[in-house]
Amino acid sequence: MEQKKSNEQWLLLTAVFIIATCGLIYELVAGTLASYVLGDSVTQFSTIIGVYLFSMGVGSFLSKYFNKHLLTWFIQIELLVGLIGGFSSIILFLTFPVAASFRLILYAVVFFTGMLVGLEIPILMRILKDKVEFKDLVSKVFTFDYIGALLASLIFPLLLVPYLGLMRTSLFFGIMNVLVGMYLLQKFKTEIVRNTALKVAAVLFLLAELVAFVLSDKIMHFSESLVFNDPIIYSTSTPYQRIAITRNKKELKLFLNGNLQFSSFDEYRYHEALVHPPMLAAHNPKKILVMGGGDGLAVREILKYPSVESVTLVDLDAAMTKLFSTQPVLLNINHSSFLNPKVKIYNQDAFIWLRNNHDVYDCAIIDFPDPSNFSIGKLYSYSFYQLLGRALSPNGTAVIQSTSPYVAPKSFWCVDETLKAAGFVTVPYHNYVPSFGEWGYIMAMKQPGYQAPDSFPAGMRFINKETMQQMLNFPEDMKTHQKLAINRLNNQSLVEYFEQEWGNYLDQ
Amino acid sequence: MKRRKFIQLGSALAGYGLLATSCSNHTKRKIAGEIIGASSQTGHLLRDKQFETPPISEQKEVVIVGGGISGLSAARWLHRNGQTDFLLLDLEKHTGGNASSGTNAVSAYPWGAHYIPIPNNDLPEYTDFLTECNVITGRDEKGLPVYNEYHLCSDPQERLFINGNWQDGLIPQYGLSPEEKSEVKRFLQQMQTFREAKGNDGKDAFAIPVDSSSNDPLYTSLDNITMAAWLQQENYHSKYVQWYANYCTRDDFGTRSDVISAWTGIHYFAARKGNGANAKHDDVLTWPQGNGWLAEQLSSPLQPYIRTNALAVKIIPGDKQATVVYYDINTHTLKAVAAKQCILATPQFINNRLLDNKVRTALVDAHLHYAPWMVANLTVSQLKERDGAPLSWDNVLYESFGLGYVDATHQQLQQLKPKRVLTYYLPLSTNTPKEERLAAYKRSHEDWINILLGDLKKVHPDIEEKIERADVMVWGHAMAQPLPGLMHGDTRRRLQESINNQIHFAHTDLAGISIFEEAFYQGIGAAKKVIGS
Repeated sequence: MEQKKSNEQWLLLTAVFIIATCGLIYELVAGTLASYVLGDSVTQFSTIIGVYLFSMGVGSFLSKYFNKHLLTWFIQIELLVGLIGGFSSIILFLTFPVAASFRLILYAVVFFTGMLVGLEIPILMRILKDKVEFKDLVSKVFTFDYIGALLASLIFPLLLVPYLGLMRTSLFFGIMNVLVGMYLLQKFKTEIVRNTALKVAAVLFLLAELVAFVLSDKIMHFSESLVFNDPIIYSTSTPYQRIAITRNKKELKLFLNGNLQFSSFDEYRYHEALVHPPMLAAHNPKKILVMGGGDGLAVREILKYPSVESVTLVDLDAAMTKLFSTQPVLLNINHSSFLNPKVKIYNQDAFIWLRNNHDVYDCAIIDFPDPSNFSIGKLYSYSFYQLLGRALSPNGTAVIQSTSPYVAPKSFWCVDETLKAAGFVTVPYHNYVPSFGEWGYIMAMKQPGYQAPDSFPAGMRFINKETMQQMLNFPEDMKTHQKLAINRLNNQSLVEYFEQEWGNYLDQ
Repeated sequence: MKRRKFIQLGSALAGYGLLATSCSNHTKRKIAGEIIGASSQTGHLLRDKQFETPPISEQKEVVIVGGGISGLSAARWLHRNGQTDFLLLDLEKHTGGNASSGTNAVSAYPWGAHYIPIPNNDLPEYTDFLTECNVITGRDEKGLPVYNEYHLCSDPQERLFINGNWQDGLIPQYGLSPEEKSEVKRFLQQMQTFREAKGNDGKDAFAIPVDSSSNDPLYTSLDNITMAAWLQQENYHSKYVQWYANYCTRDDFGTRSDVISAWTGIHYFAARKGNGANAKHDDVLTWPQGNGWLAEQLSSPLQPYIRTNALAVKIIPGDKQATVVYYDINTHTLKAVAAKQCILATPQFINNRLLDNKVRTALVDAHLHYAPWMVANLTVSQLKERDGAPLSWDNVLYESFGLGYVDATHQQLQQLKPKRVLTYYLPLSTNTPKEERLAAYKRSHEDWINILLGDLKKVHPDIEEKIERADVMVWGHAMAQPLPGLMHGDTRRRLQESINNQIHFAHTDLAGISIFEEAFYQGIGAAKKVIGS
């Protein structure tokens, strides 16, 4: 009899040990995760530890309202800690990108786990008070509590984060909690009310956590696809791409398939450099062609010229141009350029459209994604530029966004070589766009003798006569002396250069 | 020793027959599609039926029988040289022969030949034709042809699934040991030596058309042994080299390397010497409908002279003119045309039935064997991909019994292709042509689909669910097999001789290899005989 009581005592103390370990682990997971996604780890850890300790106090306070069936309550709380704590990291990862008030969810999760852990210790002490002498009880419970905390704080950075990752760590300890609960259910089955119902619940919790544990890579991947640095204000998947728009105090950003397209903070640098040199080189152009550029920002710059009679925009994705024709916050950025009656939008494939086109344009702005695959590489090919030449008036000028000449000089100069092979005179230039880095553009025209303009339209924030001169100058580290292959449909050298150069750059 | 290895390989390949029966119970759903015949049923009328000779209802200077590339090329040559009193008969609804093609909402697609290599620069008639149809757009300062970039095969051209990964290009590289790589390199270097080689008569050792090749016994003796025996003789032990050679001979000739003539096997590599301003000898020209595009270029200006659904059944040589009897499939009537000259642009096993000529029949039966093929066109949505090189024009599986598939939509320019048409090629080369042909005619649509699924699931595990439609064509007599002795023996010369200076022959089985250039020059050769007589 005495032996049995002693066994029960050690069993319950082991439970204290595990609860303490798990509790601290959940706290550490929340703190680490908050530091990852919100930054400022000092603030995150100190507020989370504060909230956690406070909520444990709340739990201790509430424990006095639990008067009957203490063991049943203890097991119920144990299972609940296992569930909430175990799923805490998944909840936080998944809600961060989509919930406007992520912090509220974060502190709620921390508060509830803290409160439940806070409830457990006093209840356990009351369960054991008839079995152990008081001074012994206090000593033993707190000893195990603090040893558990030490263990947690050591294995968390050394073993758990490197080998399991945050998501599996919290699930692992959630499973431990549930297992402890299940074991106690079995051991004290005679003393438990609603034993069967609790057992069913415990098994369900366990299964849910096991499934989540196995699928954690997929969940992680999914949540990463949602994670951007700033809160998302709009996101949609079209047949062609995933569009996401994020906003913080300073700027609004557009992402296509996770790649940054522009930041409202510095896009003027890109679009002024892309649009004004070719527009001025074309001398009072009337008919303008834009390929790509479904955000309407290039068109915004084009419409600053009174000579412009029509703008034809060809962009594959109707969802994209519709978004930038209707959303007030976006209309604010592109100055409602798509609503201008001079603008006509064609949502068609650029190559097919250009091949069927028989009109002639005075200025063409070519703003495609970087040539990162064979499909997009076609839009930078000799054949495409031949069609472009056909679509350009004798004094017309085109411009091609041509990736970064600093990161990818071979790619940049390959576009230049290809344009020359297609019969163009080229004028390469570059500028610095903080969101992208050093960026390159190439003007293509049919006549030699380009003169940089003396004046630019009023209201420019970046481009002027002096910056234009600087943009035309290429330092040695943006050049290549290798003989480059022309990018052809049957030999897409550009895609190879691009993969190689950006691959090396991103590996660093 | 090596030969035994090849036999083992051959029996491994024979596995596809078993595969068909073992898998047929597991098909989850019926895949839509049908077996499309190259009018073999109509053609078999010729084999099974006796025809009377009706009264002559028409008089022509020239009748051409057969609207494949040889017949169309002969017609083109006559037309260019002012001969406009001629008629071309073809049993199919459309001309084109082995270059026939189909089309659906996604793309046009080939039913047979699907590309031409960059032409050799010493073939002016051929390059003139390609210039006419704007495949050659001009010449550069060195006089080299500039090829139309839309017709050159787009990058990425070829990939090979080998050792669990898609590698770029078809020559095995991925996962090979340095020794094996150096053997592959030696093989390619030896082929380059043959490419440049000239015989003691000053002619190219390996030329196109084959008849302009050198007669130097140093090279022609290669026609006495098989390709596999030659590889053994040259100490090629790597299974990768052996696989590659066998793949190539099956690809171009529907014939395994252990039965094909070594001269022909080497010709595949060594006869291609083309050079353009923007293309080299190993580049290819292709179209969604394959060589159907070239067949259209040949046939469209000749439409008034072409009569389709017309099965020639009997050719009777005469003193002043020949009589061509044909069965009009539209009206189910027999008709007869008198022609001063006749070009038979039909394979010789057909000519055996058209002409009552015992000498020719004996020669053909003894020396010409025709390889059967299966071609399937699969309309698919986006497929799961294995690691490595991205989807290319030609997609080949190492050590597969098939030749892989060609993406018919590859030359389409648009960014997004939610659906594609894949053309799957299977030369039925495991057993003798006759055995394979009989087995092939017995297989159902479902049998064929199970065979190709068993192959393609290795690289696209989800292909069964992603196929929307799969049509199958069985070519009972796709091409003559260039077995040892055919190229440099006497058979081809004797079969090419005209009868009575009245009936002339033009077909790739007379060249011994079924390639576009041979058909093109066979047609011109026969037309020149007509004009000269």
